[in-house]
Amino acid sequence: MPDSANSNGRSAAPVRRKARGRVVALTGAASFLGRNLIGILEEDASIARIVAIDIEAAPTGGPKTRFYELDLTQPTSEVRIAEIFSAEAVDTVVHLAFLASPSHAAAYAHELESVGTMRVITACRSARVRKLVQWSTTLLYGARPTNPNFLSERHPLRARQDEPFFADKISAEHEAGRFAAREKGTVVTVLRTAPILGPTVNNYLTRYLARKIVPTMMGFDPLLQFLHEVDAIAAFKRAVDRDVPGVFNVVGDGVLPLSTVVKLSGRLGAPLPHPIARPMLQALWVAHLAEAPASFIDYLRFLCVADGEKVRRELGFTPAYTTREALVDFASAQRLRDVNLLQEPSAKKSGKVEQVTE
Amino acid sequence: MAARKKKKRHPQPQGQPQAQAQAQAQAQAQAQAQAQAQEQAQAQAQEQAQAQAQEQAQPQPQSPELDDEALEERSSLEPRADVAEISAYIPNVEDDALDGGISMESRNTREITGDVDAELRAVEAEVDRIFHEQSRRPRRDDGPLSSVVNRIREVLPVELPGEHGDLVDAAKDVLSTDYYLRQWGRIGLRNRSEEVDEFGLDPVYEQRLRPALDFLYKTYFRTEVSGLEHVPSDGRCILVANHSGVLPYDGMMVRTALRREHPAHREVRWLAEDFIFHLPFLGAFMNRIGAVRACQENAERLLRSERCVLVFPEGIKGVGKLYNQKYKLQRFGRGGFIKLALRTGAPIIPLSIVGAEESAPMLYRIEYLTQALGLPFIPVTPTFPALGPLGLVPAPTKWKLTFGPPIDLEGHGAGAADDALLVVRLAERVRTAIQKSLDTMVSERKSVWFG
Repeated sequence: MPDSANSNGRSAAPVRRKARGRVVALTGAASFLGRNLIGILEEDASIARIVAIDIEAAPTGGPKTRFYELDLTQPTSEVRIAEIFSAEAVDTVVHLAFLASPSHAAAYAHELESVGTMRVITACRSARVRKLVQWSTTLLYGARPTNPNFLSERHPLRARQDEPFFADKISAEHEAGRFAAREKGTVVTVLRTAPILGPTVNNYLTRYLARKIVPTMMGFDPLLQFLHEVDAIAAFKRAVDRDVPGVFNVVGDGVLPLSTVVKLSGRLGAPLPHPIARPMLQALWVAHLAEAPASFIDYLRFLCVADGEKVRRELGFTPAYTTREALVDFASAQRLRDVNLLQEPSAKKSGKVEQVTE
Repeated sequence: MAARKKKKRHPQPQGQPQAQAQAQAQAQAQAQAQAQAQEQAQAQAQEQAQAQAQEQAQPQPQSPELDDEALEERSSLEPRADVAEISAYIPNVEDDALDGGISMESRNTREITGDVDAELRAVEAEVDRIFHEQSRRPRRDDGPLSSVVNRIREVLPVELPGEHGDLVDAAKDVLSTDYYLRQWGRIGLRNRSEEVDEFGLDPVYEQRLRPALDFLYKTYFRTEVSGLEHVPSDGRCILVANHSGVLPYDGMMVRTALRREHPAHREVRWLAEDFIFHLPFLGAFMNRIGAVRACQENAERLLRSERCVLVFPEGIKGVGKLYNQKYKLQRFGRGGFIKLALRTGAPIIPLSIVGAEESAPMLYRIEYLTQALGLPFIPVTPTFPALGPLGLVPAPTKWKLTFGPPIDLEGHGAGAADDALLVVRLAERVRTAIQKSLDTMVSERKSVWFG
């Protein structure tokens, strides 16, 4: 199958695409976004082959999917990725190998996110991949009292650099930015998603809202914004389909105050004074009893809401769920989980698994 | 016939009201002259509209927006995306049906063909109302405590134990933590809406607070408003006012004034200083009742959605004015509001507020160690640190709001906002206008307390 593609030569990417359909490679293919995106790409007739790269196989892989077991944290992995990209004649790379939740293994996370992105981009460059789609998050804007109510893509990334979870992601995004600036012919699309919420996704946010008693900050009630999991996956599909370079905020419409979020998910809010909450949360985080380190307290105090206008205008993507609908969808699934009516791995357990896989 | 009429009565979305009125008048004349023919034509038009609506509804799967990718997105996980897609089509159907020439005479046809959405909404509202009534009604009217129960329910939206069952259910409720959690949630949501607008205004919360705001406005400050005719009934505009008072009551009062007194009940969003949003409680509270953090992005977004924005260009220096500087306008920031007006083409309406500056006369500002508290300064008023929190209650001075004639900045060209000199000059012009008006108002005033 790849023979005819190769006979056209490297430079004839568009021709190859028309003739046989595209080859899409996914890093972090077993992550939540990865495995769902594979499911969608499997059904797309215009995609000839899916190259799944991760340390474990995605359960959604079908006949089109080829799985490569590869650890991005290994020193020579960029050589292997480049080989895979060349051999499979990869047209589009979807880089999803990021942690969805903060991790205690900071060194591993740095190696995977910051250095891993560098490796993937090096491979893209040497294999002359036509297009790169990368995952990022709106958390990177940072929650600050001086933020405008709607952050546009031009706003600088001001998340706390002393928190490795943000610092690694910011450096990964800078890496993609440099790549886009240097390789003019390559389409680089970065999707900054709002915190993802939905009935099946499992991340620090769903675990936070799954608590019976949800800690909040006394006297602060920031507006929050979520993205439904389905919209997140659909946005990546759209970015794979359309060649629109740039950075895009992908967010659900509307905002909700934190207190209303807690109430709508049927939880009890426990307002804590923030000077006390910070050392307390840090201690709980060290003891593996909290979902996130103390730097996430900012997001319970100040605004970090992004403007999703650009993705609508340029990429033509409109989310189907609003922030509130995403939350309600999550809450209804969570209610079933609370009474053990939803047969799923429990939140804590699969969270661990996800951390290792991504 | 029907086709011709369809063109004439095409509803125009405010573009040319005259033309529309003409078309309507024509249509009415026609209706009077040939009522029967009209009816026939309507019947035809109705059929046509229905056919159109069906056409619109049927070829959905082949339509360009519903291509493979969309179908795949849908098939992946959820059944909801297609609901959204279908609902995206409903307005089209409606529009076409309305275009089909049934606009005003016959309500029946319109109900059948057109407003499916409105109909559904009406039915939903009705069902909601019935449910609401049912839930409000006590289950056992004959009980000795029914009046007490009803009283409790009026105040708190709780569900009493065993309300939907017998004594066993009641016992179960009383013994389960889940029941108490549920009631706590209900009480928590009683005075807030489940949805806020994009800048955080909570309509239900504000509604609840209205009596208090009205009391402050009408009885406490006895506010008088003049020059309301200068505030346009719709479209974007910038109100520029003098800032005052240790506590930011002025924004709230201007909002209340325009809501109560303006013929169009204009809704004002006021831009508040950063430090308010650093503070616990105050920031969340102000945000919920309509304050927005002052920055160019927010103001531009508000104006672009054709809203009325109130700015206090003096900013923090205005709040921190000492009593001996009252009614002397401070520097007008860096002219941000002028740039805003030049960029968005919004008219500037000067607003002078007299009375507010005496309601919390500040004698001294403590500026040491205030960084740790997140405050710009600690005010010293005749009452404040002395009486504790009670000292923050404003004095009942007489307030007067005067809106001046709009200052139109159009005709300065596109690059005017970058012309620093021009911006400074225009800002000074607005400042002078407000200062003059303030001076007259203060000199005409006989008493701080009675106006």
